Amino acid sequence: MKRAMVMDLDRCTGCQSCIVACKFENNSGLGNYRCDIVDVGPYGTHPDIQMYWLPFQCQQCENAPCIEVCPTGASYRDPDNGVVLIGDQECIGCMTCLAACPFSDNAGAARPSARWFNEERNVVEKCTLCNHLTAKSDGVENPADSLDEAHAVPPCVHNCPTKCRHFGDLDDAASEASQMLAQAKAEGRPTYTLASDEAQATFVYILSESTAPWNGMGEWRSLVAKG
Amino acid sequence: MKDTLSRRTFVQAMAVGAAAVAAAGALSGCMEPKKADVGKPSTEADAQASAPSDGKVPGTTATHVDLTGADVYNTMCHGCIAACPVRAYVKDGVVVKLEGHPEAPLSAGSLCLKGMNQLHTLYSPRRVLYPMRRTGAKGADNAAFERISWEEAIDECAERIADIMEQHGTYSFFSSAGGGGSYVGAMLPPLLSGMFMAPTGFEPGAAQCWMPRNATAAFMYGGADQSTADSSVLETFKGLSKADKEAGIKNDMNCLVIWGTQPSASQTSQAGRGLAEVRALGCKTIVVDPNFSPDAAHATIHLPVRPGSDAALILAWYRMIFEEELYDKEFTKYFTNLPCLINPDTKLPWLATEVFDDYEPVTPEDTPVYVCVNEMTGEVEPLPFGDPAELSAALDPQVFATATVNGKESKSAGQIYKDEAEPWTLQRAEEFCWVPAERIREAVELYTAPAKEGKCAGITHGVATDQMEIASQAPLGLLGLDMIMGYVNKPGAALTQSTMGGPMGPQLDGTNQWGKCAADGTQPRPTKGYLAQLQYGYTVGATEAANQERVAQSDPSALAVYGKLWTDRLGLSNHRGLSAWGHSHIPAVREAIETGEPYRPRIWVELSGNKLAMLASSGAWYKAAMENVDYVVGQQPIFTSFHIELADIFFPTEEWLEHPHSRTGQLNYTFANPGIVHLGESVNPMHPWMLLADAVSAKLNERLDSVVFTGTGQTISELGLTFPLFKLGDRGNSDTTCWKMELTGVGAQLGLGEDATIDDYMAKLRNNSDAYYVSTPSEDYWTYGQHLVKATDGLPLGFATESRKCEVYCTTMLKLGRTGWPYCYPTAFEEPVDSRIGTFGGDYSPICRVPLQTEAPEVKGADGYTLPFDKDFPLAITSGRVPYFHHGTMRHAPYARELFPVPFIRINPETAAKYGISDGDWVEVSSRRTQGSDYDVSKRGTERSYAGEKTQTTKVSDPIRTIAYVSEVVAPNVVWMERFWNPECFDKSQKTKTGGWQECSVNVLTNGIDAQFNEVFGSYNYRAFAVNIKKSERPDRVWVTPKEFEPFMPTSENQVHDEIGVLMGNKDLVTDYYQFATADAPAQG
Repeated sequence: MKRAMVMDLDRCTGCQSCIVACKFENNSGLGNYRCDIVDVGPYGTHPDIQMYWLPFQCQQCENAPCIEVCPTGASYRDPDNGVVLIGDQECIGCMTCLAACPFSDNAGAARPSARWFNEERNVVEKCTLCNHLTAKSDGVENPADSLDEAHAVPPCVHNCPTKCRHFGDLDDAASEASQMLAQAKAEGRPTYTLASDEAQATFVYILSESTAPWNGMGEWRSLVAKG
Repeated sequence: MKDTLSRRTFVQAMAVGAAAVAAAGALSGCMEPKKADVGKPSTEADAQASAPSDGKVPGTTATHVDLTGADVYNTMCHGCIAACPVRAYVKDGVVVKLEGHPEAPLSAGSLCLKGMNQLHTLYSPRRVLYPMRRTGAKGADNAAFERISWEEAIDECAERIADIMEQHGTYSFFSSAGGGGSYVGAMLPPLLSGMFMAPTGFEPGAAQCWMPRNATAAFMYGGADQSTADSSVLETFKGLSKADKEAGIKNDMNCLVIWGTQPSASQTSQAGRGLAEVRALGCKTIVVDPNFSPDAAHATIHLPVRPGSDAALILAWYRMIFEEELYDKEFTKYFTNLPCLINPDTKLPWLATEVFDDYEPVTPEDTPVYVCVNEMTGEVEPLPFGDPAELSAALDPQVFATATVNGKESKSAGQIYKDEAEPWTLQRAEEFCWVPAERIREAVELYTAPAKEGKCAGITHGVATDQMEIASQAPLGLLGLDMIMGYVNKPGAALTQSTMGGPMGPQLDGTNQWGKCAADGTQPRPTKGYLAQLQYGYTVGATEAANQERVAQSDPSALAVYGKLWTDRLGLSNHRGLSAWGHSHIPAVREAIETGEPYRPRIWVELSGNKLAMLASSGAWYKAAMENVDYVVGQQPIFTSFHIELADIFFPTEEWLEHPHSRTGQLNYTFANPGIVHLGESVNPMHPWMLLADAVSAKLNERLDSVVFTGTGQTISELGLTFPLFKLGDRGNSDTTCWKMELTGVGAQLGLGEDATIDDYMAKLRNNSDAYYVSTPSEDYWTYGQHLVKATDGLPLGFATESRKCEVYCTTMLKLGRTGWPYCYPTAFEEPVDSRIGTFGGDYSPICRVPLQTEAPEVKGADGYTLPFDKDFPLAITSGRVPYFHHGTMRHAPYARELFPVPFIRINPETAAKYGISDGDWVEVSSRRTQGSDYDVSKRGTERSYAGEKTQTTKVSDPIRTIAYVSEVVAPNVVWMERFWNPECFDKSQKTKTGGWQECSVNVLTNGIDAQFNEVFGSYNYRAFAVNIKKSERPDRVWVTPKEFEPFMPTSENQVHDEIGVLMGNKDLVTDYYQFATADAPAQG
């Protein structure tokens, strides 16, 4: 099993609705982010410029370093579906995983960061692929019932205004994520993962050259205003 | 029953398990990427699912929203005007989750952040749930209010209004409204004021938004305008819905020009979603926008036009299309009026009966015959309307021609247009508009290419140009482009007669509401009624006799008063296009309040959000209202700057989850749209004005001998009239009636009868996934070729204009400026518009021209097109939407504000470097409104701006401050920022309070004072004016970092502060608004 998301960057307009969907679903409160949007670019000089928006969260690495380094066993993989998770009852907020994660701020406090340190709870939080809704889902949503546990998708996927986000098991050819990936390949659109050394991120990003050249997370700028 | 729940219960319901409110402290500065950089193609390696090493699964505390036992209701979002279908999950009477409805034909299950954030605005600690009366002086700093009952509020309000009207005459009353999903719309102010025989009413969502495009489309072809946001251009989204797919209907959009609009930012999950879908299907897009908007980033071609220079770019398109003969010749010759020879004296087309003594018209009286040069003979000949297949045997109308008619050299309308466009070569457009010539060429080629294969492209035209001097010129040009290309009433065209197009929509007798025509020969010639109350106004396409017969139905005395309201309306003597929605000219209203000339509006009933943040030159408005308005009534779910500063009395209104809404549906789907919860004594936003209409009328009717109609100086008794001057249908005032009015459509959908109760509705809607339906079959909804269908007179139906053609040369503009026709009828303006205002030899221009721009950056070749460059304000500023907010809404939504705390000003790196500004710096932004204008103030603004005369006026505000976003997304010397206001500035935690409209709001800077207002509609400068910037410091009171917004979260603590004290009205009645935080909370509901 390889639960992940496939993101069609030719569609994303950076509206940040996914961030808000995530915050409501998970009661994140102010200043905590499990999901983010990174502006990559614009590159070039006006008016010859290109950019894309990168929906960003825990990349569900195949060789997740967070699991390896966790001193208490709080970071783990769901035994049934392989989703990388954090048990907050075991988490002691030591931040070791933040340093090990290729996509996180070491303090889990500067956006964008795949893992976020929740100061009040003294735990590290991150995207769970909304496993509380999707643990048994095949990733093909039931339009009549979005809580149908056999088919549910995370709210960031359900509500995504441009249908950029696609969720599912990449090992299941029938999943929404696999279907999107197959379609992109058939259309000849390039696909990418974020570079992550041995960790091997599994999220797949689709991006046509005509939108912008792929540059990963770019030289990301602060996503938070100066106070 | 509707579920009546408090915010406390909401908080309890939301927070399952551990409280999940926390933050990682203030975040600032940049962070370098650690290990992630340019990626690599994905691997196919298998996942290695691994259980924890000790085999025990770690424990997790649930923080997610718990939906066990929740009911689901289908409703519709009103976070903006798009109205996306939504599922609301309700647990223990509290809405705990919102999501998009998957059956929605366009939004297709998506819901943008504005929709989701309704959970926080609904249960906001800033909600005011009871009627309030101000108890102290006006102004935010020591504002004090007390709770009163609805009965007391309405009675007191009506008494005060009647008293002032008795003392100062009927014209002392004025009303205004505003945009925003669930709030009262633009059509109401002229109605409410009109009922009290007062002429003054306005909202910015008219001359500043949609009305210029909407009215111009009506004038030019009687069809729907080019707005996507207002659901006029829907062809773009054909073939996307389930119903369309099942009917085998495919999308036909080959190329869409997106001019001055950003659907992905303004209607993210509706039009934004639709555009994402059609781009994926291969539709090419050309985006014209100074800003690299999300739609520009995904466009085939982006034309970053210099703010305010669009008209020149449009003329460059005309020039290339004429020059290279790219237009649709047959359509232009037979279905537009460009071949008509124009009388140089009247500027109107010569009629055949004027030219040929013995000419007997071959068409009925309602369809004039003009003259043209016949290319076959080279002679001036009659140009009748008819079927091109029949006419073309003997008549080939020459589009570009000059001929002597009745001894006068007369150009064809096409020739006049060609001459106007002639100077605007691609090179000159590059210099003037700052868009590379080659890129303009590519865009025109892309736009015209489908015509070569008999296919279509289309232009969707957004709000941007409504907010500049070019408010009439731009729609004239852009509608005309689609017309000369023949992109009309065809698959893949933006211009259609298949949508209602709002209040000014087409009226095609015998069609269904989507313009599906009845069989050949059964429909009369199309007409378009420009009608207001009491039958006032003209039906174009009908004969003069038919119009006279219609107005004769009204009481002459009432009609005379009503007509007087029309011509006495502030600013209409100059800007008669405001008649389209019966609005006053907003700058003229402010001047009348200031000066008392020609009469002083002094009772302000305001039905929308935050006028101090949304009106241009807000400092001038603040001063005028503070000093000269006697009584101010406001309504909203929360106190905005306007209410805390100015309101004497406040009516609490509902958020959209609380009330049914009549605007339902997406494409041909209709959705049930109920209110689901209810808080306090808030009411439907449509409710208070209904109560006032009756209560004020009743009080005025006791004083008919002493209340004077300002227009004539006679008492109402002398006029033999009573209040209201007219009635609005069969409305009622009780809560139930108000519910019913809004629920009429919903009830029909649900199969409920007249006697159904609110309980019946809710029972029917609970957990009912079928509470929506396809109202019109797809094959009846997507309709084309209306103008070709044969009418009862044997001619093609044509269009609802005088000529029955597409009037690319818009004759209605000329007549409007002379008498107010077709709105002012049977009364009319006695004088034509001031000759300094009409730019077409004293008339409103019937074609796209480049008008004078009041404030512009240094531009090559701008002589005569801009007032002299002012080096104190060297930058062009413009604006656009961001996805977080709709108009002035949701600045108190914490999950929106933490992402967009201030209205970041976009600055090009080259410009930023010149000013020593770095990304993230605080910046001071100034304009002539913060320094003083150099126009003559001895004349009233609506005149002085045209003369461009100079002296110095005093400044009306201090500069504003915001944070720099330094990026190539805008050109050098162009900056961009969205409107804003800061409700935190009067949060109880602030040591000193302000109304929050001065700190960051670009409307402090915008020009509603002495701009070159648009000649026809009076539109002022929200965009495309001049500013300066310098590095600055963070202003007091403004919140920026996420945790600062905690007081906006619906927490238990906030709940306490809300449920007690004067805001909730259960304590001593006279209490400082800011001193309610410490008392004990009473039990509630």
